[in-house]
Amino acid sequence: MKRLLLWAASAYLVLTATAASAQTASVATDQILIGAFGPISGPAAFLGLAGRDGAALAFKEINALGGVNGRKIQMQFEDDAHSPVRALAAVKKLVEQDKVFMLMSVGGSNATAGTIGYVKERGTPMYVSIASAPEVTYPFARNLFRGATTEAARYGEVYAEFLASHYKAKRIVLMTSRDEYSRNEGDATVTKLKAWFSIEPESRLEFNNGDKDFTSQLIAAQRANPDVIAVFGSPPEAAIALKQARDLGLKQPIFVGSAIVDQGVIAASKGAAEGVKGFALIPMLPGSKHPDMQKWEAAWRREYPNARAGRPSIFDALAYADAYVVVEGLRRAGPQPTPESFIRGLEGLQNYRVGPVASPRSFTAKHHIGNLTLSPVEVRDGNWEPVQWSSTHPTEILKRYK
Amino acid sequence: MGATFYLQLAIAGLAVGAVYALVAVAIVIPYKASGVLNFGQGELATMGAYAAFVLASFQLPYGVAFALVLLGGAVFGMVIERLLIRPIANAPAFTLVIATFAIGLAIKSAVSVRWGDTVFSVEGPFGDDPLLFAGLRANPTSLWIVFCTVAVTALLTLFFRYARTGMAMRAVALNPEAATLMGIRVHATYRWAWAISAAIGALAGLLVAPVVGVNPEVGQLILRGLVAAVLGGFTSIAGAVVGGFAVGLIETFASVAVGSTFKNLVPFIVLLLLLAFRPYGLFGTREVHRV
Repeated sequence: MKRLLLWAASAYLVLTATAASAQTASVATDQILIGAFGPISGPAAFLGLAGRDGAALAFKEINALGGVNGRKIQMQFEDDAHSPVRALAAVKKLVEQDKVFMLMSVGGSNATAGTIGYVKERGTPMYVSIASAPEVTYPFARNLFRGATTEAARYGEVYAEFLASHYKAKRIVLMTSRDEYSRNEGDATVTKLKAWFSIEPESRLEFNNGDKDFTSQLIAAQRANPDVIAVFGSPPEAAIALKQARDLGLKQPIFVGSAIVDQGVIAASKGAAEGVKGFALIPMLPGSKHPDMQKWEAAWRREYPNARAGRPSIFDALAYADAYVVVEGLRRAGPQPTPESFIRGLEGLQNYRVGPVASPRSFTAKHHIGNLTLSPVEVRDGNWEPVQWSSTHPTEILKRYK
Repeated sequence: MGATFYLQLAIAGLAVGAVYALVAVAIVIPYKASGVLNFGQGELATMGAYAAFVLASFQLPYGVAFALVLLGGAVFGMVIERLLIRPIANAPAFTLVIATFAIGLAIKSAVSVRWGDTVFSVEGPFGDDPLLFAGLRANPTSLWIVFCTVAVTALLTLFFRYARTGMAMRAVALNPEAATLMGIRVHATYRWAWAISAAIGALAGLLVAPVVGVNPEVGQLILRGLVAAVLGGFTSIAGAVVGGFAVGLIETFASVAVGSTFKNLVPFIVLLLLLAFRPYGLFGTREVHRV
């Protein structure tokens, strides 16, 4: 029996030592390896390209100032092509082959959701910047954090309140893309419209990512004679839908989900976006004349001088801010960071933000939802400009964590 | 639902279908002439869309841009045939398909590297104000696309019926060996087939750019173009055009009948059902070999 116990104890020691060495393999004396993933090909590449570039800019700035606790940050990036299968493969490669210290998702919900089970099982810390997939933060997992994008349930609360109080809408039609993010936004909005305002949407029309024609949905929406049409999807599809709405003579105001609140949709829809309202995850959007945003954009353009139209986008700004949040967590993890100390470091953040272009992040040991702030905006003269409105309905999303 | 509703849907379906028809025609022409199925055809449309975007940035009149895109597409088609297809012309059919697939990927990667995945907009030839008639509304660019498709079909029909090169292409398609014995330069007809096909593909991109924007995903049109081509019989220009319009209409009406979730599935189901009863498509004919 003693021999058996000795063997078991030895095996346990060997296994834990191996696991520990695997976990810290990515923290060298002079650098910390972060594995990031998102779509840089396919129809959702606008997310991953911006997420990658925004985060890379932040890490470069941080490294130029000496890094974190004497170590430089190195980012290893993998393309997930907006596919859950590709995302899982990317994450497995980053964890098992590259042995990254932590993961950072700058992709969409659809792909990120495909990695959750594996990441929970491995225990590798993962910081999700853009995806709003509910399973990132609920059921609660200690190693998963959500940054810039808030909970789908929170979107639902704010959108429903805005539709009911700002538009004073009774008849609402939803047009939602079939991707995870948009569905979640739509589901959450419908839930709160019913629960808080007793409003049952007239209809909910779906479309696919990559669709080029929305005539049938728009005609159906028009026939329902709504007070407002709420569109949840991505900028490329939204730009086409907005143009076709104008062509079909739709008079109803159009409200859009936060993923559509992007300068690219204004450029691509050729004026058809004027008057469209939505919510932004940051106080001001790229393209704003605010000096702080102008300063940030100038820094971005110095790094990416051959910027294309529509860049930097909001996703550049979101990932940029979240890269700083991640580094702040690492700084608080101390000179010998471990996954546990990093998690504790992040959980100590209260209203942390890198600057005025970012919204504040707060985490606790009970919930890992970093951002609950949404700012209403409207397209005026080709720019997203603030709308004077604030949410007054108390949020209910933190109740389930108590 | 009144007639206006269905007519409005029909306008949308025809506008979308016109683009599918052009892509289908562009697929059918080189297949008919040389037996090569060009899986890179969608990206030739992407190239046309980006060419329109670049030419628009030089403030060129639409007519000049239109001509340059057609000409550029034709030259590019000839280059593809001469440098990439002809050297492997005797390879197995699967190799040729993969080669065309690679050409498409190369085009898509090149535009992604140069312009990223940002959606750009291009002005249409007649502005953005919709046309109103009898309670119906139509984007003038969409009507322009339908007109161009019909015009291209008519011109191709005349070309294949009366032009020397067109007749030579028909002869080569029927029997390359016999055509060679009759003094027809087979390689030259292949080159023309690719030139015409690439020009039409580029034209589809140019036409669709003001409606859907310019981005590397324009080439997704190939899937619908292939369905349209198979529906039409794969060897018939008229069949490809009818197939394109049919796919556009089916897709648009299906989104009302079965919802947008399944609308993309319906053209494929229709195709499978049709092939069960007419294995050679709407306009295709059974190949008969003398033994």
